[in-house]
Amino acid sequence: MSQVVLSANGVVKRFGGVQALRGVDFDLRVGEIHALLGENGAGKSTLMNLLSGVHSADEGAIFIDGKPVRFHSPRDAQAAGIATIFQELDLVPSLSVAANLFLGHELVRSNGMLDGNAMQRESRKRLEAIDRTIDPAQLVSDLSIGQRQVVAIVKALSYASRALIMDEPTAALTAGEVDRLFEIMRGLASSGVGIVYISHRLEEVPRIAHRVTVMRDGKVAGVTEPNAPQAELVQLLVGRPLTELYPWRADSVGEVLLRMRQASFRPQRVSPGWQAPTMVDLDVRRGEIVGLAGVMGAGRTELLSALYGTGLPGRWQGEIMIGGKPSKLKSIAAARRAGLAFVTDDRRGAGLMLRMSVGLNLVMSVIRRISPNGLLSARRQDDAIRSSFGQFDIRPKNPAIPVGALSGGNQQKVVLAKEVLGSPQLLLLDEPTRGVDVGAKGEIYARLRKLASEGLGILVASSEMPELIGLCDRIVVLRNGSSVAEFSGGADEHQILAAANGREA
Amino acid sequence: MSEQQITSHAGVQSGKQIDPLAVMVRFQSLIGLVLVFAGGIIFSPRRHGVILFLQPDNIANIVRAVSETGIIAVGMTFVIITAGIDLSVGATLGLASVVTATLMVSGGFGLITTLIVVLVMGTCFGLVQGAISSKFRLEAFIVTLAGLQAARGLALVVSDNQYINISYGDGPGLAPPIFAILGGRLFGNIVPVATIVFLIFACIATLVLNTTRFGRYVYAVGGNERAARISGVPVSAIKIAVYAITGFASALAGIVHAGQFNFGSANDGTGYELTAIAAVVIGGTSLFGGSGSMVGTIAGTIMLGALANILQLNNITPAMQLLATAAIIVLAAVLQSLVRRREGLGR
Repeated sequence: MSQVVLSANGVVKRFGGVQALRGVDFDLRVGEIHALLGENGAGKSTLMNLLSGVHSADEGAIFIDGKPVRFHSPRDAQAAGIATIFQELDLVPSLSVAANLFLGHELVRSNGMLDGNAMQRESRKRLEAIDRTIDPAQLVSDLSIGQRQVVAIVKALSYASRALIMDEPTAALTAGEVDRLFEIMRGLASSGVGIVYISHRLEEVPRIAHRVTVMRDGKVAGVTEPNAPQAELVQLLVGRPLTELYPWRADSVGEVLLRMRQASFRPQRVSPGWQAPTMVDLDVRRGEIVGLAGVMGAGRTELLSALYGTGLPGRWQGEIMIGGKPSKLKSIAAARRAGLAFVTDDRRGAGLMLRMSVGLNLVMSVIRRISPNGLLSARRQDDAIRSSFGQFDIRPKNPAIPVGALSGGNQQKVVLAKEVLGSPQLLLLDEPTRGVDVGAKGEIYARLRKLASEGLGILVASSEMPELIGLCDRIVVLRNGSSVAEFSGGADEHQILAAANGREA
Repeated sequence: MSEQQITSHAGVQSGKQIDPLAVMVRFQSLIGLVLVFAGGIIFSPRRHGVILFLQPDNIANIVRAVSETGIIAVGMTFVIITAGIDLSVGATLGLASVVTATLMVSGGFGLITTLIVVLVMGTCFGLVQGAISSKFRLEAFIVTLAGLQAARGLALVVSDNQYINISYGDGPGLAPPIFAILGGRLFGNIVPVATIVFLIFACIATLVLNTTRFGRYVYAVGGNERAARISGVPVSAIKIAVYAITGFASALAGIVHAGQFNFGSANDGTGYELTAIAAVVIGGTSLFGGSGSMVGTIAGTIMLGALANILQLNNITPAMQLLATAAIIVLAAVLQSLVRRREGLGR
C-alpha cells in the first residue's frame, strides 16, 4: 500500500479532568480519502484539532512523512502542507471571493496598495480548476452554501499540498452539491492529496471513502472497509448491536387532526428560494406519524413553517381543517391555539436559548401555564421540568446547566420536550434528528412513536430517506411545493425518490 | 430543585462540580462591592483614628450620589437583558427635571398631578422609541440616539435654555414644600430620601424581573428572539415594554434630580446613560442579552459610587477616577468573556 503522509501515534488529550483522547493511533495515506466517524463526544473533533494544530497533544506524537512534528498553531500545520476546513467555513461573507482567497496573504503592488487585478486573475485560475461557475468578484454572501464550500476548499488548497481535513463538509449541502463535492475530492485524492473526511452520514461512506476509522469514547473502535455492512458500522459507533433503530408502527389511528385540500399559501412578497406550498392535499390523523419527502427546495420546511406562521407573511387559500374545524392559521398564536407545535430544523438558531439553563428552556412554551395570574410558580415550573426529564432521557440530569453545553442529541431532546410540554395535538417536526448521533436518534424515534400512540398527530419533514421510511406510517412526497404522491411506511426508497424528482420509477 | 438553582446560568458545571470562575462572575458585583469597601476602609483617610469612609454621613453620601443613575440602571437592566440598549435615558432625565420644575413653578400644578404627568410622559417617550424600533426593525442604538437628541431638544424648548429654579411655598410660582423632601434625609437624618426612592424602585423591579411572567419573557427575548417567538412569546410587545420601563425610570430619576437640586435643567443628566450601562455590565448582565440580574445592577451601581468616593476622599483627580472606572468595566467584561469561552459558547 502507498506511503503514509500524516499519522498520529498514541495521542492523549485532556481538557481539565476530561480525557478526550485516550491513546489514539491514526494514519492517512497519500491519495487516500479516509472517513473518520464517531458520535458526538467520541473524540473525532479533538483528533482533528490535534492534526490541524489547533491543540497540541498531551502525550503521543504527530508524524508527517514519518517524521515527528509539533504544531503550535494552525499556521504551523498549514506550513507543513496540512489544511483544515472547519464546519463553520472561515470565510468573510461581506468580502469578495478573491479577497477571501487571499485573506492574510494579499498581493501588494510596489507602492503598497492592494493589487486587486492580480488577485482576481490568480483567483480565477485557481477556481477554474474546480468550479467555473464562481466569479472571483462575487461577494461570498451571494454564493450558495455549496459554492462557499468550494471557495473554502480552494482557499485551503493554497496551503494544503499534502493533506486536507474536512469537518462534516456535506452537512449543509444539497444532493447535487454533495455529488459535485465528491467529484472534487476524488480529483484531489488522485492528484496525491490525502483527505480526512469527517461525517455523520453513514450512507455517504461507501460512496467516497477508501478506508474508515470509527472512534468511540476517545479511542479508535475499529478501522474497516467502507463497504462494510451498515450494521457493523453502527455497532462500532455505539458499541452495541442496534437491532431496532426504528420503532413499531401505529396499530390504530384516530380521527383526522389536520386536513388540507388544495391548500396553497400566498406569501405577501415573493422570496427567491422560498417555495410556497401550492395545492397541497394532506391528512394527519391522531396516532399517526406522517412524513414529508422531497428534494431540497421542494418546500418541506416552507409547508411546516407556513402552517405554524413562522414563514413569510401571507395567507392560506383552499381548505384547511384542524380538528374538524376550518382554520385560517393567521399567526403563531392562532396555530398554537389550534393545538399546533413546531420544532424547527435550526435548533441552535431558532429553537434554544443556548446560554440559558436546560430548565428555563424546557418551560419556555408553557410560561403562561406556570404563571397563573402573572406570577411565576416555582412549584409548577419544577413539576414541568421534572416531567420533561422523566419523559425524555435528557443528560446530564441537571436542569441548571446551560443548554448550549449539551450534546446535539440532548439539545434536540430538550427542543422536543419543550414543545411536548405545551400538550399539543399536532406536532410539526422539521429535520428532527439533524446533527444527532445514532444512539440518540433511536431514542428520539421511540419517543415520537410513544407520543403518537398517546394520541398525538405528528408531521415530519426530513431529508433522510431511511428515517422517513423507517419512522413514518405514511409518506407524502412534495415537488415544487405540491403534494405529488403518497406512500405507505416502509415503501421502496427508489419509488419515493422517483416521485420526488418527477420521474417514473 | 429551587428557583435559584434553575435560573442559574453559570456556576454549575455538569455533575456537582463548581467552577470557581463561573461563581466569580455570577457574584462578581457583590465580590467587587466587598473588595471596594475593603479598599475604602484601608485607604480611607482617618481623623483621630476614625475611618472617614465608614462614617454614616459618608456612606449616606455615596448612596445618595448614585440614586439617580441607579434608578436608570435598574430600568436599563431590562433593556440590556433583551439585548437592547437605551441611550436616551440621560436626556430624558434632563427633560423630566425641566418639565417637573415648569409644571410646579409656572404651571401651578400640584405635586401628585405633576408626578403623574412627568412619569406618564417619560413612559410614553420610551414607548414611542420601542415602537419605532420594533415596527420598523431599526437598531435600538440608532432610535434611542435620535431619542437622546429629541429629548434634549424638547427640554431646551420647554426651559428656553434656562435653569428653572424651584422655590417652595404656598401660592403662584411656588412649588409645594413637600417636594423638597427629595433632597432631605429620613430616619435620624441619615438615610437620603433619593436613596429610598432608588431602593424601593429597585426592589419592585427585582420582583418583576424574577417572579413574573413578564420578567421571564424579557430573558427569553434576549436569549433567543426567534426561539421565543416560536414558543409563543409576544416578542414585539416585550421589546416595546422594556423601553417604556427605561422611560419611566428616567422620568423618575428626573423628578428626584429636580427635588434634590431644586431646579430643572435641560442639560443635566449628560453621560448618565453610560454610567448606567457600566453599572449594569459590572453587575454581570451580558450585552448579548439573555442573562443578568437586578441584584448585580444594584451592587454595580453602589460599587461605582463607592469607588468614586474613595478616590475623592484621597483627593485623587477626576481624571484618575475615570481611569479607575474604565479598568473595572474592562475587568468585568473580561471575566464574563472567560466564562462564556469556558462554557464552550463562543466569543
